[in-house]
Amino acid sequence: MTKFTLQNGKTIVKPFNKIWIILAIVTTLVVIFSFFIRFEPSLINLSELGVIIKKMFTPKAGRTWGDYFGFINQLWEPLISTIEMSLAGTVIGSVLAIPLAILAAKNIFKSQWVYVPIRFIMNLIRTVPAMLLAVLAVYFVGIGVLSGVIAITIFTFGIMSKMLYEVIETVDMSPYEALESTGASKVQAFRYAVFPQVFPVFLSYLIYIFEINVRASAILGYVGAGGIGMIIKDNILYNYDRVGATLILMLVVILVVQFFSNYVRGKLQ
Amino acid sequence: MTNAERMLARKPKTWIMNGIFTAIVLIAVIISFQGSSINLLRLQTIGVNLRIIGRQMVDINVDFFFGRGVYAFQEGVIYLTIETLAIGFLGTLVGAILALPFSFLASKNIVGTKVAKFGEAILVAIRVFPEVILALVIVKGFGMNALTGMLTIGIHSIGMLGKLFSETIDNMDKSSLEALEAVGATTITKIRYGILPQILADISSITLYRLDINVRSATVLGIVGAGGLGASMILSAENSNWDILGTIMIAIIIMVLTVDAISSKLRSKLV
Amino acid sequence: MIKFVDVVKTYPNGTQALRGINLSIRDGEFVAIIGLSGAGKSTLLRSINKMHSITSGQLFIDDVEISSIKGKDLRMLRRSIGMIFQSFNLVKRMSVFNNVMTGRVAYHPTFKTLFGLFPREDKLLALESLDTMGILDKAFQRADQLSGGQQQRVALARALTQKPKVILADEPVASLDPITTVQVMDDFARINREYGITIVANMHHVDLAVKYATRIIGIKNGEVVYDGPSSSVSDEVLVQIYGRSLKHDELLGE
Repeated sequence: MTKFTLQNGKTIVKPFNKIWIILAIVTTLVVIFSFFIRFEPSLINLSELGVIIKKMFTPKAGRTWGDYFGFINQLWEPLISTIEMSLAGTVIGSVLAIPLAILAAKNIFKSQWVYVPIRFIMNLIRTVPAMLLAVLAVYFVGIGVLSGVIAITIFTFGIMSKMLYEVIETVDMSPYEALESTGASKVQAFRYAVFPQVFPVFLSYLIYIFEINVRASAILGYVGAGGIGMIIKDNILYNYDRVGATLILMLVVILVVQFFSNYVRGKLQ
Repeated sequence: MTNAERMLARKPKTWIMNGIFTAIVLIAVIISFQGSSINLLRLQTIGVNLRIIGRQMVDINVDFFFGRGVYAFQEGVIYLTIETLAIGFLGTLVGAILALPFSFLASKNIVGTKVAKFGEAILVAIRVFPEVILALVIVKGFGMNALTGMLTIGIHSIGMLGKLFSETIDNMDKSSLEALEAVGATTITKIRYGILPQILADISSITLYRLDINVRSATVLGIVGAGGLGASMILSAENSNWDILGTIMIAIIIMVLTVDAISSKLRSKLV
Repeated sequence: MIKFVDVVKTYPNGTQALRGINLSIRDGEFVAIIGLSGAGKSTLLRSINKMHSITSGQLFIDDVEISSIKGKDLRMLRRSIGMIFQSFNLVKRMSVFNNVMTGRVAYHPTFKTLFGLFPREDKLLALESLDTMGILDKAFQRADQLSGGQQQRVALARALTQKPKVILADEPVASLDPITTVQVMDDFARINREYGITIVANMHHVDLAVKYATRIIGIKNGEVVYDGPSSSVSDEVLVQIYGRSLKHDELLGE
């Protein structure tokens, strides 16, 4: 704090620049947290890293480049599973999120007793990582694509319901009022007055979440939920070249999905 | 035919497009249900199972929580949670700092359109790797410890934050720059007083949002050896050790909700 | 038939919007309610279809006391009452046709309406309402592509599609330019004449109210201070209602 005295006798105090406080807090946290990042210097083996990366992108001893790229032929089926899994999970999860989002929107169900507990439950569901959901789903329905679909559905449900209720709260409520005055029920009024306003955004979010889910589902296979992830898990120990080939295919697919996603979402604006 | 009937006949047939769309989606949904071996026994007893699991999960393993008794402190939930937070926090911080130069490279306002496209491409390339894959690779070079986790989150964040930062820079309000130019400021002064104050708030907000997401990711990365709660969490679920999973979940819920709340609060103050 | 008996409305913050209203409106009348902003006109209007509930007193619609009805009965009450708003309250992105169709929503169970499955008669009814309002050709355009006057006519078509007995209008022409205002008021008059639908309208412009309505009700401070034929509305009456002489914008003028 600095105190200034003007010629006419008035004084003014310049308050602390908050930046210093923030920097102090951040630095403290950095120092504390660093103690928890323990690592063994002896384990750092950058050359090993280099070797592995090289192994991933060249055919294994005894195999040809033909084999390397030929492996991709075996990947089509799991790839399609991955995409189906993502699509199904995204759609089902998003549709299921709609009623919950309506309940959580302050402008439709005005009572605290409704939206506060609903939002809390939503937050709770969102803290469970997709990977854990996949493991649990595998426990119940076995290895395969279905468990992936279930995991993605629940995950999508968590994200979409929050994004959706935030949008619903920004909507123009005057047609909703008009619809209530004609005798429509809350749900009907929502369907005809709020939903048309929200739908384009809903679609945009759906595609965005689909994009996220394609990446996630490629990995969920690692714990048995089907798709490309399982291929990676099977090959990670001895067949780095196959892992590399899978990675390449996966990256291409993710890029394509991203491109498609950006394009469609751009048009929705 | 009345006017009304004539008009009705001319009504645009939206149901065709809607129908096709719905059909595609339904087909995808149905197909995805095939080829799964549904363990019917487990499914039928889902209600019972959930109740058993639920009960066991609430039965917290206190030794495991604090890391005493049979469990070393390093294996306890408290330690692992802080480790997870550390991975998320430091990873985000490192990622944010490193993302800045990349974002300048990807920003039309700073380097011009041609170079910016190149910068964007680099960022896209970094972003396209799912975090788990990155972790799988990095773990080979740095060992199964928290350092791997931090590096994974850091590198992934460079891609994510770099794009958002460059968008912020491109959307900046140039009028203050104009004013500084009129006053006769040097380039450095222009950056210090014209650009920095504006983007600092947005960049901090974006980084805080990313912190939230990264802490959640950090809880999972452990499964491939990157440190934190991930390993214990996934393994306990795979081995049906529900009490351990329950203990871990409670810690995760508290941690994530807290970080979420702090992040939201700080972000609302920045707006 | 609408009957107010000692109706009082007090808001939670203590404001008394209506202090003992006693009124009877017969079927087929064209009633205009005038008064200062905040005098209670809007509250009065909205208590008829229970958008605002009253604190005490009795309100009868067709001899049914409405303060205790709720749920399905309330919705059945509301669907026979149409409401026109100052800002039209249409769904801007939706087509005119779909906006008008929403007038039929309360006549079908929720499940069917979720998917937009309306019977053919409803669709024809909606189009006929649009034809009555003279904008049939705009049926499949987006609502926000129409002018203000046309949008208010869409709102009127929506109300007509409910096949209502009463239409309530809350300052229906306050947002319109003078020429369109006259056109829309002519529409109200025509609907009242040809279909026998009771019209109760809050009016901002006094000369319009007097010109189109057969009966004027003046509200001041939540009380009825004038209730009589529009022909008997004199300057003294107006000073009584408004507490002063009229301002420039309270007259449409010619």
